[in-house]
Amino acid sequence: MNIAQQPISRRAFLRGAGVALALPYLDAMWPRALAADATAPRRMVAICTSLGIYTPSLFPKESGRDYALTPYLQAIKDHRDDFTVFSGVSHPEQNGADGHTSEMTWLTSAKHPGLGGFRNTISLDQFIAEKIGIQTRFPSLVLGTNSTSQSYTRSGVMLPADAKPSQIFAKLFLEGTKDAVAAQMQKLREGRSIMDTVQGQAKRFAARVGAADRDKLDEYFTSIREMEQRLVLAEEWARKPKPKVDAQPPTDINEEKDLIGRMKLLFELVPLALQTDSTRVITILVQGRGDVPLVDGVTMAHHELSHHGQDPEKLKQLQLIEEAEVHALGGLIAALKAKKEGNGALLDNTMVLFGSNLGNANSHDTKNLPLLLAGGGFKHGQHLALDTKNNTPLCNLFVQMLQRMNVEADTFGSSTKTSIPGLA
Amino acid sequence: MLCCLDCADAATATAKPGNGAQPVKAFLEKHCTGCHDATEKKGGLDLDALPVKFDTEKDRAEWVKVFDRVLADEMPPPKKPRPDAAAKRAALEIIGGGIVKAEKSVQATEGRVALRRLNRVEFEHTVQYLLGVDTPMRHILPADTPSHGFDTVAEGLRISQLHIEKYLEAVDAAIAEAMDFRPRPDGAVKRYQFKDESGVKKHFEVAEGTPDPKNPKNVHHQSLKELPDAIVWFSGGYPSPELKQFSVRQSGRYRIRFSAYGHQTAGRNVMMSIYTDNYRTRRFLGYFDIPPDKPRVTEMTVPLLAGEFLRLDPTGTGYDAEGKNVNGIGAPNFKGAGLALQWAEIEGPLAESWPTPGTKRLFGDVPLLDVPPNKQVWRKNHKVPFALKPENPKDAAEKVIARFAQRAFRRPLEGGEAEPFVKLVTDVLDAGKSFEDAIEVGFRAVLTAPQFLILDERPGKLDDFALASRLSYFLWSTMPDDELLGLAAAKKLAQPATLRAQVDRMLASPKAHAFVENFTGQWLDLRNIEATTPEQRLYPEFDEVLKTSMVGETEAFFTEMLARDESTANFIHSDWLMLNRPLAEHYGIPSVIGENFQRVKLPADSPRGGLLTQAAILKVTANGTVTSPVIRGAWVMKRLLGKPPLPPPADAGTIEPDTRGATTIREQLAKHRNSEACASCHRTIDPPGFALESFDVIGGWRDRYRSREKGDNANRRLHGRWVWEYKLGPAVDCTGELAEGKKFQNIAEFKKLLLGESDHVLKCVTENLIIYATGGGIRFADRTEVARLTASVKAKGSGLRTLVHEIVESPLFVNK
Repeated sequence: MNIAQQPISRRAFLRGAGVALALPYLDAMWPRALAADATAPRRMVAICTSLGIYTPSLFPKESGRDYALTPYLQAIKDHRDDFTVFSGVSHPEQNGADGHTSEMTWLTSAKHPGLGGFRNTISLDQFIAEKIGIQTRFPSLVLGTNSTSQSYTRSGVMLPADAKPSQIFAKLFLEGTKDAVAAQMQKLREGRSIMDTVQGQAKRFAARVGAADRDKLDEYFTSIREMEQRLVLAEEWARKPKPKVDAQPPTDINEEKDLIGRMKLLFELVPLALQTDSTRVITILVQGRGDVPLVDGVTMAHHELSHHGQDPEKLKQLQLIEEAEVHALGGLIAALKAKKEGNGALLDNTMVLFGSNLGNANSHDTKNLPLLLAGGGFKHGQHLALDTKNNTPLCNLFVQMLQRMNVEADTFGSSTKTSIPGLA
Repeated sequence: MLCCLDCADAATATAKPGNGAQPVKAFLEKHCTGCHDATEKKGGLDLDALPVKFDTEKDRAEWVKVFDRVLADEMPPPKKPRPDAAAKRAALEIIGGGIVKAEKSVQATEGRVALRRLNRVEFEHTVQYLLGVDTPMRHILPADTPSHGFDTVAEGLRISQLHIEKYLEAVDAAIAEAMDFRPRPDGAVKRYQFKDESGVKKHFEVAEGTPDPKNPKNVHHQSLKELPDAIVWFSGGYPSPELKQFSVRQSGRYRIRFSAYGHQTAGRNVMMSIYTDNYRTRRFLGYFDIPPDKPRVTEMTVPLLAGEFLRLDPTGTGYDAEGKNVNGIGAPNFKGAGLALQWAEIEGPLAESWPTPGTKRLFGDVPLLDVPPNKQVWRKNHKVPFALKPENPKDAAEKVIARFAQRAFRRPLEGGEAEPFVKLVTDVLDAGKSFEDAIEVGFRAVLTAPQFLILDERPGKLDDFALASRLSYFLWSTMPDDELLGLAAAKKLAQPATLRAQVDRMLASPKAHAFVENFTGQWLDLRNIEATTPEQRLYPEFDEVLKTSMVGETEAFFTEMLARDESTANFIHSDWLMLNRPLAEHYGIPSVIGENFQRVKLPADSPRGGLLTQAAILKVTANGTVTSPVIRGAWVMKRLLGKPPLPPPADAGTIEPDTRGATTIREQLAKHRNSEACASCHRTIDPPGFALESFDVIGGWRDRYRSREKGDNANRRLHGRWVWEYKLGPAVDCTGELAEGKKFQNIAEFKKLLLGESDHVLKCVTENLIIYATGGGIRFADRTEVARLTASVKAKGSGLRTLVHEIVESPLFVNK
């Protein structure tokens, strides 16, 4: 058993695959194995509420540390020193096919989503997963209150979100029966032979296609190779016992209207998945819906409320929903703070990005996004008020987050700098 | 626009290779580079940096823009001196000719379109056809990104590791179904009485009016009513109208019959919706219009999945004339409408033969034998009583896999092509696994092979097999059947008469519904029908049946036009529609009965007719609460007229909806119509939307906007009760003026003006069909053929079916 000292490349890993698997940092499982000087891994969680967050109730009037609490920040005031609120940040050129297409690009920054020849680019979490995902059983977890996610592969394909907490828990922590594991291993091995066989078909095509078609075929054969690698990894992991956690499997909430309940159940999985180092990157899309969410005092549909038209009653109800969402975030921050690892708390090694792809959902405006970053070892406790006319690219923050993840990157998407001034 | 086309033709026709760049340079120098040079770069265009060469895709894209703006007289701008006609023509000929020449040369070596993979709908249909199963799979696969408006276009159909992973997962589910060998169906029909449902029996155990033991002030109200020959449901509430006595043990096709009638409906019909449920997800199967008092026996043959049971829901029942709910009154005293359910009959799984045709196609004469119970294997949570027992497993495997691969690849195999797949199977056999376990691995490999996933088209004229696939994916969204492949093998398919006959045969098949569904689903945005949910209080008449009927109407309209070769001008206006009862009621058109869509002649004063006034279109162009003339106007420009408005400038604001009643949408829009920068585009975009203001977010007619607070009583009945949910607010203004100054008072006048644009509609449908059918956007070099095609179809009466025939015979379709 050896502890990975530094990230290894996929290539290096595959060379060694089948000989010994580099074991990740598993505090919960093997505390003895953990040398005192081992540094805890860095993690990232990105949470987007797709129907916006009413920013007048979020953004403080004052910038800096001595801001007066706004209604939403009131809900997480206990954690005031653990997060930073940003205003004046957004992705440039987000007018797209319709008012909600920017939910495809919150983590990618691709311009004009859905218009013309739009092709999405890789999302922040998948970019990280490509670099360090090999070190954990799951390169990333893509979660959502329904199957829509904000995670996109390098070729711009959306990864479907896991929405059933019971199934996510099972895949993270529940061991199959001996027969089931054997059957799974068999399936994985067969999968590799299948990939091998179809890989062999490359020659049939290579000779006779033009340049444009060759690209398409390359894309196919690259996918096959990556699948093969994925299967090798899966086989290695299938041999290792899954981590044990001191938690009961969750019971799913089937009622989709219970948005807050469903989001909280997903949030409860986050500390478990991170502390067992099952993954280091998690995205959660809280997908607002066209029906009435189960929140006390709310009688109108969520989407309709987001188009409040300044109607005071609608604004009141909208804020009830969003307060409940921010409150759930507070629960997540508290849980990450409560888990200790190394010299500090799990939160110190975990960046939690919370916000929305809409700055003003009433008019589908994508400027001045609501945004909050907690944890990750930054000096928090302030409102970083940036230029609301001339917004700072959100990707500047993404690059800073990448670097905090120890992922080598100077640029990402539409970034113009490698950090947000004032955040350290 | 037609004039533009003519010029483009002239330009391409007279383009002479070897024309120097000089006339172009001179023209640009005189009229363009004053603004579009390296220093000014107006609109981001620097013509100094753009060589008069057409070799790269990037340069060509720039030149197409220049060509179009100059041709349309948009550039140089109106304030500048007009170019000399001859000089303009000379420049355009060189530019247009240059682009066409360059594009044609690329097309000659690479083809007009790139290779493309199956999209997820096609993948599902094809795997289902190959394996003889109904397993749903598209939800497992990653969503496809449409390009040029359609998910059949190569550029959008990327492949990633995630796809491969999900293909394997989907294929596994389908193979499990295909290998789940069923006992010979006994043909028995089982009948179930609704009064025997355990939930129903329990419900009647507590007598009406029994006080609640915990709180005696509350008395128990029954929600069901027992009649001598039926049980009446007034709502879908507890106990639900479910048939729990039957649940599906084996997936397959079932014939389901129900006997039901309307109870206390005051002579009206009741719509009955049928769903499946498995305690997790519900699937909508369909609906039937149930007459009052006299039982109707409904019948449908549908695929059911293991674990599902059936559920029926009445629509528009549960309230009496005063609007009181059955739950507060109790069923015995309730006088409102309900649905009386008598019995259900179920037969299935249905099979024409045994082993099933699907099994025979897969395994040919490999014997399917009984297995003693202690040797049966588990599949999908139950034991399979049969197993494939070939005498010589390796020989059988070779035959089965070769035959399967040939079908899956949609063409004869090349020498040795099946070998690697056969070897995969024999390796598993050698490892001691069963024939079935081994053959499965082979199926999985074939169904993830590039020959299966990618449509194999080679540059130049398509060979007969590639043509068979292109035709089949166009009109059926699935692989070619035996007849098409047979014609391809005989090298007869490409003959015009054969092609024509095949198109007719294919359109007559039920499989052609996939074309209507997938084409209109994207061209007309019908796939977005669920994108927003209308606010319940404002639109209480909106329900699942109405929503499904909306899409059904537009699909039926398209199907009817296709069947009867109706002119594409019907998309603008028609004096007939395809309606069922819910939609006819929604449109205020009397005496249409039944759930099926029927051709209905419209009353002369009806504002309906054509596509724009169909509820589905009006819904997908609105959100759940309000309509925007800008959104609807832009939709008409793009989808019907084929003139997409330019995207708004980056700094353009959006209208912030204000529903407090202070300003109407017209007042808000007036602001941007008054600013010249906005008005230059919006005077063209907004008018269609103004005419459509007469229709609300669910396509209902309105003279006044609905309001939640202020206003007059609606004074209207819904399902026999008074509407109380909304009030009538300010009056609708549906007048407007087209950009060129023609005025209209209402939708009818607007449609009359729009009929003058029939040629644009024909061209727009043509282009969309070509993109969908060939898997590639319309290129500059395609314009001549599009113009020829539309002219030819127009000369024959602009029929939709004629158009499909001409497209299939066009060089754009029969070449890669």
